Amino acid sequence: MNKKATGKKAVGALAAAAAAVLALSACGSGGGASGGSGEEAKGEISYWLWDANQLPAYQQCADDFHTANPDITVKITQRGWDDYWSTLTNGFVAGTAPDVFTDHLAKYPEFAKTGQLLALDDAVANDHVDVTQYNKGLADLWVGEDGKRYGLPKDWDTISLFYNKKLTADAGVSDDQMKALSWNPQDGGTYEKAIAHLTVDKNGKRGDEPGFDKTKVAVYGIGLNNSGSGQGQTEWSYLTGTTGWTHTDKNPWGTHFNYDDPKFQESIAWFASLSEKGYMPKLETTVGASMADTFAAGKSVINAHGSWMIGQYTGYKGVDVGIAPTPTGPDGKRASMFNGLADSVWAGTKKPATAVKFAEYLGSAACQDVVASKAVVFPAIKSSSDKAEAAFKAKGVDVTPFTQQVKEDTTFLFPIADKAAKVDGIMKPAMDAVVSGKQPASSLSQANDQVNSLFNK
Amino acid sequence: MTTATSAIRARSRRLNWRRAGAWALVVLAVAVSILPFYWVLRTSLSSNSALASNASNLLPADFNLGAYKRVFGLQTAQEAMAEGGSGAKIDFWIYLRNTVIFSAVTTAGAVFFSSMAAYAFSRLRWRGRNAVFGLFLATMMVPPIFTALPNFLLIKNLGLLNTMLGMVLPYLFMTPFAIFFLRQFFLNMSREVEEAAMLDGAKHLRIFFQIVLPNAAAPIATLALLTFIGQWNEYFWPLLVGNQDNVRVLTVGLGVFKSQSPQGAPDWSGLMAATLVSALPVLLLFVAFGKRIVNSIGFSGIK
Repeated sequence: MNKKATGKKAVGALAAAAAAVLALSACGSGGGASGGSGEEAKGEISYWLWDANQLPAYQQCADDFHTANPDITVKITQRGWDDYWSTLTNGFVAGTAPDVFTDHLAKYPEFAKTGQLLALDDAVANDHVDVTQYNKGLADLWVGEDGKRYGLPKDWDTISLFYNKKLTADAGVSDDQMKALSWNPQDGGTYEKAIAHLTVDKNGKRGDEPGFDKTKVAVYGIGLNNSGSGQGQTEWSYLTGTTGWTHTDKNPWGTHFNYDDPKFQESIAWFASLSEKGYMPKLETTVGASMADTFAAGKSVINAHGSWMIGQYTGYKGVDVGIAPTPTGPDGKRASMFNGLADSVWAGTKKPATAVKFAEYLGSAACQDVVASKAVVFPAIKSSSDKAEAAFKAKGVDVTPFTQQVKEDTTFLFPIADKAAKVDGIMKPAMDAVVSGKQPASSLSQANDQVNSLFNK
Repeated sequence: MTTATSAIRARSRRLNWRRAGAWALVVLAVAVSILPFYWVLRTSLSSNSALASNASNLLPADFNLGAYKRVFGLQTAQEAMAEGGSGAKIDFWIYLRNTVIFSAVTTAGAVFFSSMAAYAFSRLRWRGRNAVFGLFLATMMVPPIFTALPNFLLIKNLGLLNTMLGMVLPYLFMTPFAIFFLRQFFLNMSREVEEAAMLDGAKHLRIFFQIVLPNAAAPIATLALLTFIGQWNEYFWPLLVGNQDNVRVLTVGLGVFKSQSPQGAPDWSGLMAATLVSALPVLLLFVAFGKRIVNSIGFSGIK
């Protein structure tokens, strides 16, 4: 878009480009290609993803694709989540970004806005990609504010409760009870009762017994990942979603956030109170630790987490893991955030036709069935999803708590809005303060004003 | 007499107590500094999937060498995942090669050019010398993060991204610290030898190569080793510039390997095995040259 930045006036150009890199936007070689008309699909292209557990599946997809299209080779690079986005934006600026890459709902609005993503509408129309083959809502998530399609869905995820079967059995909580929990923001319902009962202090007293010492907890009833920032995907969104509360006025492309809603603040106040009561670890003790590892070490009994963690949780040796659906809430139903990844094509790719062809292949049943067979995530295509469920079952893991949210239509979409990075910059410290007990939940109203003022300009 | 002996005995007993206390302190300090390394070793010899549930066991959990096999690429992704690893792989030998090239070239370049600069700052007399040197020293105060962006854009505009040259260039010529370090040493060299050489018709180049450099072998070796270790551990710049596998260095490779899916736990045993293996060359270097370094520091101290 802004080619001036790489011009000749050294000092000014450096400053301008430096600012561009810092803002992770504006500059770069985007916007050049448009659909790849007339170009033949061949040559080598690069593909990036962050999840190492899915690498073998996608490597096979790339190999299969090469077999079907001998003129095309795909080079896959996996890089960790922590560096993924900085290396990617760096690549946009430097012209070294991958041709096709795994994209996230929280990130793509800014990429689309700065012209880094190739719109796939022409390709979808020309190649007759059936966007209704994906699970409901997934394909729509990737239609930008400008009405153009910026990704083809690859997978989806929902939230469930992982629990340590030995510890629940010790406490006399049955699997059926775990599957029938209910919650409300006033007294926490049977969900809080279970969590309290599963918490054990160093003297062996349970959280709901007299004499429980909340300063010396040996086993927490529920684990804590972090404060959840503004989305709370795995932390609290499965609770707030049952109260009728929504993150934004509309989704996608909401421009007004609702963190000042009493319904929301009530739920968060309850969530923060779990730490205060000693049922959940203090926020500061979770920094740098893996919630899953803590779970495997027997330090927490219930962990609410996403379906992409199934392999992690069921992979621990010597830990018998159960999976239960999230509790029902005040509206009598369950709720889970429904998130989906997609493959996007970089606008600066030198081989747009090849890149688009590969992205389409990744979004096709041929590749998603391969992904399904590895039983690591749920592919976006409905039929492949079912195959993944069967593959999990063959591995001895019953994943219905995750899939039932989709089947019963109790999911709500990941909140997609512009300025996600800035919203996060405001909401993370605000939520941290509330969950760690330093601020009351009412302080979120002020953060909400700040967030909303981002959209008034 | 008796009072004297008892006083001596008392003193020696006190001394013994003191000595025991000192020994205990030393043993504790050694234990504390060695324990992390032991923990790295213990983790690398454990099976990843058994680690978390055996957190408090001092011995490896579910002992096996799978992590090392993973590091050297002797395990398929399927086997790795069965052991609680991930599908990620470390191209150890390629990263090692890159790290060796990166560290060796930058060290050789920086030490050589810095010693030339130090020579100019200490043995030559020219106008504004001290001012220029002051300016040089002042650049030590600039945090590297400030120069990262301009450097990055420069390298990008030169078309050197993802090349070894681009990774090496910012370190190749000199560092203020190296110049400062060597200048202090060169300043103490006797002028007579130099003057004698000049009388014999030697020019600066000859003096530099035949008199100053050989005499400064020890501090140069020290500097080289320090630089080499620093470069071996360098992370940020290689991350920015060396993105592709063919130039990725070990630190970056390990960083990528560590973080995988968001919120997922890393393959700790594989990571620790790789860390241990990648720290080995530097450790060996220390074993080989450690004495020399101590000597050189002692030497320069006496001077």
